[in-house]
Amino acid sequence: MTLLDEKRDSQEEAVSPKLERRARQKESWRGFFHAAPAYVYLTFFFVLPLLVIFVFSFGSRSNTGKPLLENWNLDSWTRLADPLVRTIAVRSLTMAIANTVLCLFIAYPLAYWIATRARPRTRTLLLVAVLIPFWSNFLVRTYAWRMLLDSDGYITQFGALTGLWGRMLFTQPAVFIGLVYGYLPFMVLPLYAALERMDWSLVEAGRDLYASGSKAFRKITLPLSKPGIIAGSILVFIPSLGAYVTPDILGGAKTNLLGNLIVTQFQAARNWPFGSALSGAILIVMLVTTLIYFRTGGRTI
Amino acid sequence: MTTLHQGAAAHPRVDRSLAIFGWLVFAFLYLPILIVVVFSFSGSESVGRWGGFSLRWYEQMLGSEQLMNSLENSVVVALISTAVATVLGTAAALSLDRYRRWLGRGAFDGLLYLPIIIPDVAMAVMLLLWFTSTGVIPLGRGSITLAHIAFNISFVAIVVRARLAHMDPAMEDAAADLYADRWQTFRRVTLPLIMPGVLGGALLALTLSLDDVVITSFVQGPGSTTLPVYVFGLIRRTVTPVINAVSTLMIVVSMVLVLASLMFQTRAERKQRQ
Amino acid sequence: MTDATPAVILNGVTKRFGEDVVAVNDVDLEIQDGEFFSLLGPSGCGKTTTLRMIAGLEFPTEGSVSIFGEEMGLRPPNKRPVNTVFQSYALFPHMNVADNVGFGLRMQKVDDSKVRRRVGEAIDLVRLAGMEKRSSKELSGGEQQRVALARALVNRPKVLLLDEPLGALDLKLRQTMQLELKDIQHEIGITFVYVTHDQGEALTMSDRIAVMKDGQLAQVGSPEDVYESPENLFVAGFVGEMCLLPAVVADPGSVTLNGGEVIRARTSSPRGEPVILTIRPEKLHISPTASKAPPNRNALKGSILRRTFYGESMVYEVHIGMSDSIEVRVENVPGMRRWDVGDQVIIDFHPEAAMALTE
Repeated sequence: MTLLDEKRDSQEEAVSPKLERRARQKESWRGFFHAAPAYVYLTFFFVLPLLVIFVFSFGSRSNTGKPLLENWNLDSWTRLADPLVRTIAVRSLTMAIANTVLCLFIAYPLAYWIATRARPRTRTLLLVAVLIPFWSNFLVRTYAWRMLLDSDGYITQFGALTGLWGRMLFTQPAVFIGLVYGYLPFMVLPLYAALERMDWSLVEAGRDLYASGSKAFRKITLPLSKPGIIAGSILVFIPSLGAYVTPDILGGAKTNLLGNLIVTQFQAARNWPFGSALSGAILIVMLVTTLIYFRTGGRTI
Repeated sequence: MTTLHQGAAAHPRVDRSLAIFGWLVFAFLYLPILIVVVFSFSGSESVGRWGGFSLRWYEQMLGSEQLMNSLENSVVVALISTAVATVLGTAAALSLDRYRRWLGRGAFDGLLYLPIIIPDVAMAVMLLLWFTSTGVIPLGRGSITLAHIAFNISFVAIVVRARLAHMDPAMEDAAADLYADRWQTFRRVTLPLIMPGVLGGALLALTLSLDDVVITSFVQGPGSTTLPVYVFGLIRRTVTPVINAVSTLMIVVSMVLVLASLMFQTRAERKQRQ
Repeated sequence: MTDATPAVILNGVTKRFGEDVVAVNDVDLEIQDGEFFSLLGPSGCGKTTTLRMIAGLEFPTEGSVSIFGEEMGLRPPNKRPVNTVFQSYALFPHMNVADNVGFGLRMQKVDDSKVRRRVGEAIDLVRLAGMEKRSSKELSGGEQQRVALARALVNRPKVLLLDEPLGALDLKLRQTMQLELKDIQHEIGITFVYVTHDQGEALTMSDRIAVMKDGQLAQVGSPEDVYESPENLFVAGFVGEMCLLPAVVADPGSVTLNGGEVIRARTSSPRGEPVILTIRPEKLHISPTASKAPPNRNALKGSILRRTFYGESMVYEVHIGMSDSIEVRVENVPGMRRWDVGDQVIIDFHPEAAMALTE
């Protein structure tokens, strides 16, 4: 790109395989240099920190809670098998799976409905309507439920009046509602993307070949929207497995999830090695899940 | 366009049930936000009770020095991290889309996706450990900005890359054929054509930065709290109607950002379709 | 013309993609100044890659490309005295017509008033006056094609490269544009290198044609040469319609068909060599069995197998003994005699019309 480069470029002799290889190498270095700033940045502020988690997880702590990088041991990892940890892990996992499934069941009909609107303008408007809460502050949206479920809020009063439910704030159902509310848009968007670009003439062909409406849906639409289902499920499952804000605001002490357990280790409990081991475990689950996704042929997120 | 979706047409009865369900979901998505906005104008001390129209919570919000201080932190961090991430992310997208073979390309491609899918808590923990164990950068505005850049690069890169994939590579060939050098090709042809993607990526980065609670709360230092982290602390202690006012402010800001980004995108698309 | 420096010389040019894909294989080519030169071949034959190597958008793995005696080496496209009309036109969607056309001049730092004048001239040349301010996305296919042409020509390139420029247009427009392109080339007198897979287009427009197959040159010559004297079966089959009959060389100047008939034809193979006899359908003549063929012509007996109406002509498929059949094209003129399926006929043709080629 410099003047010198251009001069070298225009050396006027017949091209030999060696010269052409050099030109190609120069081109590939250009690609490398474009990526280099981001590459270096992510190495220093993502890859190395990621590895540090595992280093700390084998470390120990002083009496005052200071993390020490000595007396290397496996204690933090063996603690993952503690009944208390297991209860919380099972609860988190159940919650994350239930959240993923419920989001899928709510999002699929919605995405299908939006994607099958005939006018492109209608589709865009409805999609924007999904996007706005998606882009709104997650904390604010969680807080909205804190307010709604508060003891003098209308939902609680309605429950008390009809006797259908009691106080919901700081219970597991409250956390569950918060998670569904928080992550639903993450499911709608990939599903919509998959359904929108679907070739609907395939469904017509199916109907032409004597498939009933529901059968055409099960045999054609559903399999073709699978990439959207998988992408949406990953986008909901992984963050809800590590959820911290929602259970903290809506769950209170009794409904701890893994996210809260980790944060506690770094704040009140001051046990960094154990917190690191917990984070490391979540990272491994996440990596395995996404690897499965990419292995099954998904590409877009 | 109309015929395109004929195959999808469900039975009218099914379609009507879908529509009812759809509107119910929209109600579920919007009512809580709406209620927060409405009650931010309530004069009552109780967050969930209507006490007549009043702007007292907005006055209290503007009067709170801590709140305004955290707002300033948020804005500074968001602007700097967005600017840096947009430049680095766009360059990264170019390197992946325009250059097929280079050293470490495959690894970089995978690495770019990781910050997007990693849970907030894990990223928060690892950055805290990194900053404290290396000790080079003190916790504060600087460390928060560095952390935000780390996750924003990936979002910008993915949005820009999607845009680049839609661009005809013959455009750049044509520019080179018409005597433009590499820089002129980028400046006059590539950049204008991917601009909607770059702006979209930048707005997404801005929103994510203004949104973040978990990572920021881990890597913040004294006096560097951002607005969402400050509000999070308030909610954990007591719920006061001031939070309704702050929440409304944040909702309005993110809505303006979404609408702005959509406007860029539809305008660009319309231009292309013509 | 022959004394002047050739516009483009390719010398032993080879392009490999990766280890085993050879797109262009050891091509030697000389394109004369002022020529309308076509690269013709099926898709994947390397014609576009060859063009891109002249443009500098691709560098050869081996060999030399020189333009007006100047070796191009690894010189980038922006430093070569050539311009390209791309297959997709590649008009910049964020610029209007005038800005598209003026792009190359602005990049060369030509001053503003000059740019405006030359852009105006170029737009007049392609007959788009009045459309300067249109967005390039508001144009029809034919108009886009003209803008692409003006955008390249405004730079006064020494060689204009055209990569299937008419491929995206419908038949009528394509025919109009063929004539127009030819006129423009005549008017400005520069060298055109034209890539196409349409043999009719290559025949009607070119001064010379290079037929390519699998990255190599199959034949280079004038349209008449390529059509009348194909050097191999590939060219014979690819350019125009051709009847192919297996035969064996009997003597120099005659061959024996499967059915035993001896026919006079152009041969170059030794006696006893199996060959394929090639004859153009329009060079055959049908007459009733009763009539006598002129003595200096070949004659074959046959029966009508199939009749197909093409509008301007009628094509008969005629069975000529054993399993061989031959197509005869008869021009649709007043008084044209119609044959029916099953009619016994005699086909006669000049010995020059039959050419024996080997595999």
